[in-house]
Amino acid sequence: MTAGVFPGTGLFQRAAAAFADCVPVDPADDGLFGPGSVTWRLHADLSAPVSGLRSLLLQALHPLAMAGVDQHSHWRDDPAARFASTSAYVLTTTYGDKAAARAAAERVKKIHEHVRGTDPVTGMPYEASDPALLIWVHAALVDSGLAAADRYGIGLSDADKDRYVAEMTAVAEIIGVPAARFADGGAPASVAELDAYFATVRSELATSQSTADTATYLLGMPDVEPELADVWQVLAAAAVTSLPDWARAMYQFGEGGPAPDSVPPGREEVRQVLGILDAVYLGEPGVLEARQRLTLRMRRAERTRAEQTRAEQAQAEQTR
Amino acid sequence: MNEPRLRVSRGLTAMRLAARGGARYAVNAPRLFAAAGEHRQRLRDDLALRTAQDVADTLGTMKGVLMKIGQLASYVDASLAPPARRVLSALQDSVPPMSPELAAGVIEAELGGAPESVFGEWDPLPIAAASIGQVHRAITRDGQAVAVKVQYPGIAETIAADLGNVALIRSLLKMAVPAQDVEELIEELRERIGEELDYRHEADNQRLFAGYFDGHPTIRVPRIVDELSTGQVITSELAAGARFGEMLSWSQDERDLAAETIYRFTFRSLYELHAFNGDPHPGNYLFEPGGRVTFLDFGLVKHFTDDELGPLIEMIDALCLNEDQEAFRSAMEGAGFLKPDAPIPTAEVVAHMSLFYDSIREPGPRTMTSEYSSAVARRYVDFKSPLAAYAKIPRAYVIVQRINLGLFAILGQMNATADWRSISEEIWPFVLAPPSTPMAEAEAPWLAKARA
Repeated sequence: MTAGVFPGTGLFQRAAAAFADCVPVDPADDGLFGPGSVTWRLHADLSAPVSGLRSLLLQALHPLAMAGVDQHSHWRDDPAARFASTSAYVLTTTYGDKAAARAAAERVKKIHEHVRGTDPVTGMPYEASDPALLIWVHAALVDSGLAAADRYGIGLSDADKDRYVAEMTAVAEIIGVPAARFADGGAPASVAELDAYFATVRSELATSQSTADTATYLLGMPDVEPELADVWQVLAAAAVTSLPDWARAMYQFGEGGPAPDSVPPGREEVRQVLGILDAVYLGEPGVLEARQRLTLRMRRAERTRAEQTRAEQAQAEQTR
Repeated sequence: MNEPRLRVSRGLTAMRLAARGGARYAVNAPRLFAAAGEHRQRLRDDLALRTAQDVADTLGTMKGVLMKIGQLASYVDASLAPPARRVLSALQDSVPPMSPELAAGVIEAELGGAPESVFGEWDPLPIAAASIGQVHRAITRDGQAVAVKVQYPGIAETIAADLGNVALIRSLLKMAVPAQDVEELIEELRERIGEELDYRHEADNQRLFAGYFDGHPTIRVPRIVDELSTGQVITSELAAGARFGEMLSWSQDERDLAAETIYRFTFRSLYELHAFNGDPHPGNYLFEPGGRVTFLDFGLVKHFTDDELGPLIEMIDALCLNEDQEAFRSAMEGAGFLKPDAPIPTAEVVAHMSLFYDSIREPGPRTMTSEYSSAVARRYVDFKSPLAAYAKIPRAYVIVQRINLGLFAILGQMNATADWRSISEEIWPFVLAPPSTPMAEAEAPWLAKARA
């Protein structure tokens, strides 16, 4: 993915363009998850921007992931473009048909082939295609989706949380994580496995000047439209607040942000700011239509499910 | 009160633009779902709001408030940047109608029975979108055709909660209307929107206007059906007529008559009822030939005390009748429009302000144009003027200013010609001039009865 794929200059404008672009008009199939999935619901949730930011903050805590980004990505030259392509990747693998999801994964894998080197902080060699690193990036994303939705978005039942983690293994696998059980080197497939994963991986995490710079940058104002800078501050505080305690401690953040005494923003405040952001999104070309495409497909799936249930019940009656 | 710590910078442009978007949308977008074509209709049905949760998802998290701020601020500035228009219109478009079941649920909760049993006949498809609700056609059990406005369930609580985020609203308003005292505007906004959420206020206002204009030859206000109206449902006589857009295709003579009716309605309300209907929105009129206009939607009405009305009268009296510039200035100061002792020569104050009175300073026919209404709106938000630092709009007049600008915008679009000064003189309580037009002659019997 190259810079400048999506029109506009600001972060939100490009992210909106990515959204409009990645929700297919005429998909060949329902893709990796389908309209009845938890993943579809969660990735369209109001809390998604918080989830995205939290995910980046978390991912930066792995020295090898950080080194890969530091040494190979030019994201600092055009952060909006980089963010837009990352979110385009997530959106395409979520809502695109299978061919589109696979093509997106192939493109990323190709880029990953060249991302290898030695981490100057730990002195360890790394490869972006290393399944362990892929799982790290994946787990941070999945965990952030759940954490952001929990605090600021739709409340998922425990069963749906497990379903989400399990569904998302599909997206880990197309990028190169072995299609195996978690115990055998696959991606975590339940909330319990996800928690177990973080408990184990924590010993590999570390902060460095790069991590600190990245956080400062992310929490500051990375190429956001100036008029949305205030919104970003609330999002940043929300993302920090939703981090696990151990991650906040590693960054030496206080409760709700970089300043030690900052008060975490409340759920309603964050949702109101997210709502305004959402309204600005809606004003970008194609966003409302893309959202309607998704709603229509999700409702159709819901109807089909309800009809099936009724049919099954009728059949059960008959057999009785 | 909950005051979250949102830091506010100066240039929240997108939101400022968003907040300004309402007027243009209102002019361009058909308010009738039915008019939108079969495919669109089906799409709307498929996307319908089915639960209170759908309503909260669509209009909660500030979106309903943003639309209301947009509506309120939209008359302040006629020139809209395209991104602003897009945000507001996408926001409006993002609100589909309620499903028939959801609307029926509101009727049942409010009127104690299913629509089919409470009414003789009920049309489950809405005929129009209303702010925070939608309008259905029905026939009462005793055979009267009515329009039933049904509020989205849970919307009142949702918007009330969002209005509690004063810090965020302040930042939105500062961007939307920098000329005004934002604190006063916030209070006014909260109060007005609060009233709008309770349909009983609206029904009361509509009763007031319907009663006052009863028997008027060209002004129509649908009557409220009391026993079928509650806090979330308003049932009123079903009115017929052409929409604003259609009326614009009529002859200029017809448009002039319609404009005269709107003008008379507005200022008779202000000076006689001491009430101003705060929503001069093109969607709120229905037109019939001969200048007959039905006025809909009394959700945003501002009532005035004598003390509040007095300075407005003094200003007109000083500028238009006596041409006493010093008296005009001191009336402005007295009302709080201008800080006392502002180091601005009185002639300059008058020069700046007189644009607002342009149409009524001299008798004789004058044509309202869009250029004029835009010029007025621009002058209104002209912060570069030396006056800007000393001027403000006191809270009581926020809505009046808005309606004035909205009225100018509407009359401008109609390209309406009339002798506005002479019509005004009939209405001004300090003049009460005799009838100046055929319409005035026709309304004389009504006026005699209304004054009695």
